[in-house]
Amino acid sequence: MTPPPALLQIAPPVDRAAVRRAVDPETPPSYFEALEPFLPSVKKPAQYVGGEHNQTFKPWGSADVRWLLNYPDAYEVGQPNQGIQILYEILNERPTTLAERSYAPWVDLEAIMREHGIPTFSLENHHPLWAFDVFAVTLPHELAHTNLLNLLDLGGIPVRSAKRTADDPIVLVGGHAAYNPEPLAPFIDAAVMGDGEEVTLEIDDVVRAWKREDGRDRHALLKRLAGVEGVYIPAFYEARYTDDGRLKATVAVEPGVPAIVPKRTVQDLEQWQYPKKQIVPMTEVVHERFSVEIFRGCTRGCRFCQAGMITRPVRERKPETISNLVREGLKNTGFEEVGLLSLSSADHADIGTIARDLADEYEGTATSLSLPSTRVDAFNVTLSNELARNGRRTGLTFAPEAGSERMRGVINKMVSEEDMLRTAEIAFANGWRHCKLYFMVGLPTETDEDVLAIADLSIKVYEIARKHGHKNKVTTSVGGFVPKPHTPFQWVAQDTPEEIHRKLKLIRHAIKDHSGLKLRTNDPEEGVIEGLLGRGDRRVAAAVERAWELGARMDGWHEMPTLDTWMQALEETDVPLARYSYRDRDEDEVLPWDHLDSGLEKAWLWQDWQESLSGDEVDDCRWTPCYDCGVCPGLDIAHDTGYDAANATLPVVPSGLGGGGLPIMPARITDRA
Amino acid sequence: MQRIRIRYTKEGRVRFVSARDLTSVWERALRRADLPIAYSEGFNPHAKVSFPDALPVGYASTGEYAELTFAAPIDPGPDLGRLSATLPGGMDITTYLEVPDGAPKLAKMLGATLWELVLPEADEDAATAQVDRLRDASDELVAATSAEVLRLRPNGEEKPIDVRPALLALRAFLRPADTGGALHPTLRAVLRNDGPTVRPTDLFTALTSRRDPAADRGASPPPSDAPADALPTPRVHRRVAQGEPLDGGLREALSGEVVPLEPARSAEAA
Ligand code: B12
Ligand code: SF4
Repeated sequence: MTPPPALLQIAPPVDRAAVRRAVDPETPPSYFEALEPFLPSVKKPAQYVGGEHNQTFKPWGSADVRWLLNYPDAYEVGQPNQGIQILYEILNERPTTLAERSYAPWVDLEAIMREHGIPTFSLENHHPLWAFDVFAVTLPHELAHTNLLNLLDLGGIPVRSAKRTADDPIVLVGGHAAYNPEPLAPFIDAAVMGDGEEVTLEIDDVVRAWKREDGRDRHALLKRLAGVEGVYIPAFYEARYTDDGRLKATVAVEPGVPAIVPKRTVQDLEQWQYPKKQIVPMTEVVHERFSVEIFRGCTRGCRFCQAGMITRPVRERKPETISNLVREGLKNTGFEEVGLLSLSSADHADIGTIARDLADEYEGTATSLSLPSTRVDAFNVTLSNELARNGRRTGLTFAPEAGSERMRGVINKMVSEEDMLRTAEIAFANGWRHCKLYFMVGLPTETDEDVLAIADLSIKVYEIARKHGHKNKVTTSVGGFVPKPHTPFQWVAQDTPEEIHRKLKLIRHAIKDHSGLKLRTNDPEEGVIEGLLGRGDRRVAAAVERAWELGARMDGWHEMPTLDTWMQALEETDVPLARYSYRDRDEDEVLPWDHLDSGLEKAWLWQDWQESLSGDEVDDCRWTPCYDCGVCPGLDIAHDTGYDAANATLPVVPSGLGGGGLPIMPARITDRA
Repeated sequence: MQRIRIRYTKEGRVRFVSARDLTSVWERALRRADLPIAYSEGFNPHAKVSFPDALPVGYASTGEYAELTFAAPIDPGPDLGRLSATLPGGMDITTYLEVPDGAPKLAKMLGATLWELVLPEADEDAATAQVDRLRDASDELVAATSAEVLRLRPNGEEKPIDVRPALLALRAFLRPADTGGALHPTLRAVLRNDGPTVRPTDLFTALTSRRDPAADRGASPPPSDAPADALPTPRVHRRVAQGEPLDGGLREALSGEVVPLEPARSAEAA
């Protein structure tokens, strides 16, 4: 591991308040000139220069409120994120607001920034973080928490919110990991769960009004922000513990703030057709394509899946909207690939039509289409055939998620072995040459038999592959399961990395005689940090800060093994990892996110967890009667699908699948974000 | 099929875009401009845009070239104007030439490069002293028959390079800086493009390390030996133009214009 740079504080100028209020378009300083001489010597320097097509470039003085949006990880993984791009467009459409973007510097540049006093900067104008009014950070997962602290420190603002003054920006987080922001509570000013489109504009209004009327009293601003529905201000809540260290409750201690903060849900996606003018990167990023979110939410009810639980209910875009967005988007970006994005894209009620129409429209052009879908069924193969009209039939991905039928029942991913084998048969018979299979180990109630069933199923699929072509390949990917908040598995113990390693070894051993069957695994070590931060409470914050001080950052990167650093931090701060991660919780344990309402009833989640133990499946509620998870009645909205039983274009119960929760998972591991 | 050769710039922020990434920057701009660029056959078609060589990351240029092949005829003036407008800032198409069938390869037309190295701005005295030193070193280098320097490769190895055979002409002069009164010592050189590649950094190393002509020829002294008044490293490396070498400059490949070694509006000429 590259030694972490020493933490040299980047000091902002004393008169930064003047800069923040400035109407002079020349201020604040641009750090581009300071950065430029070092760029030839850092990795992938184009990630730091901005200037991409479709970026918005507003004069500083033209705006009352200035946002710095951030994806707290390297540009190559953060740039494709749609959340930041949506908020960027929405905010910049306001004449009185300006939004710029930023990402996390790689460690090589960080060392240079610290040595030469270059602060966290925006890509548009290389303005320093300390000059903005709002630092809005997306947290799509937990492995960027240390990066967030690092960006704050590099940006010249205090890492702890209690030390910030009216001269510092408001540090606001959103995205999936904001559904349990407690391990970050001392470092952030505000968190929002759920869809950001509407709430961002409401926050912008509040900040504008505050700046105009007063602009000095930070507490007053936080108080006003707490009045916006869905805005959680951790400083206004206190976590109380029993003498033996259990959480008693997280209670509001500031008068007038809500006891329970709800998530925000945009009811009609049709009204929010963003991002339209997507940023076109000039350097390699993970996804280089025009992405259209075809629907939001997922109703499959896979019990391990946080994304599927917290983004309910399903809200679909109309096929016409999708094809318009694609047409316009390709024109104004020049991208050569279109990605139909969602949590389980094959589930759109009109996906058949959408795929056919797009395939027709772009047949014979250099435009390719991608649909990250991993449903184990013939329909998925048909869809993929359609979208691959222009290209090669290389790889298909399927996610049975667990090896044995019993285990799949527990996680509510009902695919029979027969379904999997028949789907593989169809895929290879249709000329596909490579199948990837996704599995997890470390699931609740798992036995070694369940683990070995992964090897068994993979070998069977591999045999089918070989029957259709000597060169056909199968890759089995296995990751360690990490229990997440707001899911039916939020109570379960996580496997230790040693246990995950042992299970992976069982699989490796069982497939060793099949040389064309490749096994890919994730670092079980990363899951340790992810699990701790996922279900941690406020007391974990001390460890986050300490780990960062000791040099932990980029925790999700293979190149940066930070687990030892974390272990040291946990020891120094007395944070008992086993208590947070390796223990089953019982029904009445108070959870650190109990005051944060994702719309799912805790009682329903518990019941679903209990039912999983008997392998009871829950149907997809998009097609079958509601099972009262809590989301829809609570939000007063229902699944908005174009589904009409009489004219169904999608097989509700695909042939031979035996009904039940249709197995699907988004994308490849890298896509699985 | 219509083939068009263009000269374009790579200035400002796009300087940090690598040659590898540049291909997709062009492809996407061509699609935005809706021009009928031809695509290669096969499953993974690529737009037919070819570049004679790669510019090192971070270098500026007003002398980049590309050859574009169109599947249907375009109207070069307005169409390439549109393309230029949708390229990222800092990239502009400055010249074009339709290529008749049977024309020599683009690389053949680019026999030499006029490079420019701009040192950081300095006040008049300091800048003049630096330019004098560059001139002395230049005279020496031009008089020598070989000048070997060691280039550090990314893997840490040092590779010996003889700068002299590629060097056709060399001139140091002063150029006014943006901020009042200050000057940029500037060096321009014409280097041949055939033969082993000599980079402008190699040339600069050769100039700054040739203090003692009697010293063992070729080996550049270790940094600790550097004189206290060592020349600052250039702020900008720019490929000004490419074409056919001429006395005192270069005939630009596409336009035929003469690009002089020392531009008329340098500080001394003024
Ligand atoms: C594109 C994508 C990627 C891309 C781009 C990076 C990214 N995460 O966006 C790539 C391929 C690089 C990627 C990688 C990974 N991803 Co990913 N990715 C996605 C995907 C498919 C789309 C993300 C997206 O753009 N969504 C659409 C936008 C509109 O939604 P959004 O980002 O959530 O933003 C909205 C709200 O959350 C909110 N919001 C977001 N941020 C903020 C901030 C503020 C201040 C406010 C007010 C509001 C707000 O407003 C937005 C508009 O409503 C999602 C699945 C999905 N469909 O969401 C997975 C997903 C986010 N990824 C996931 C994971 C696990 C990963 C990886 C860790 C996988 C891995 N093991 O390698 C890596 C991590 C990468 C990294 N180091 O950061 C998981 C997260 C799990 C969870 N907690 O629920 C998801 C949900 C996939 C899944 N089903 O499991 N991913
Ligand atoms: S289908 Fe995918 S996104 Fe939906 S719940 Fe299951 S795993 Fe999650």
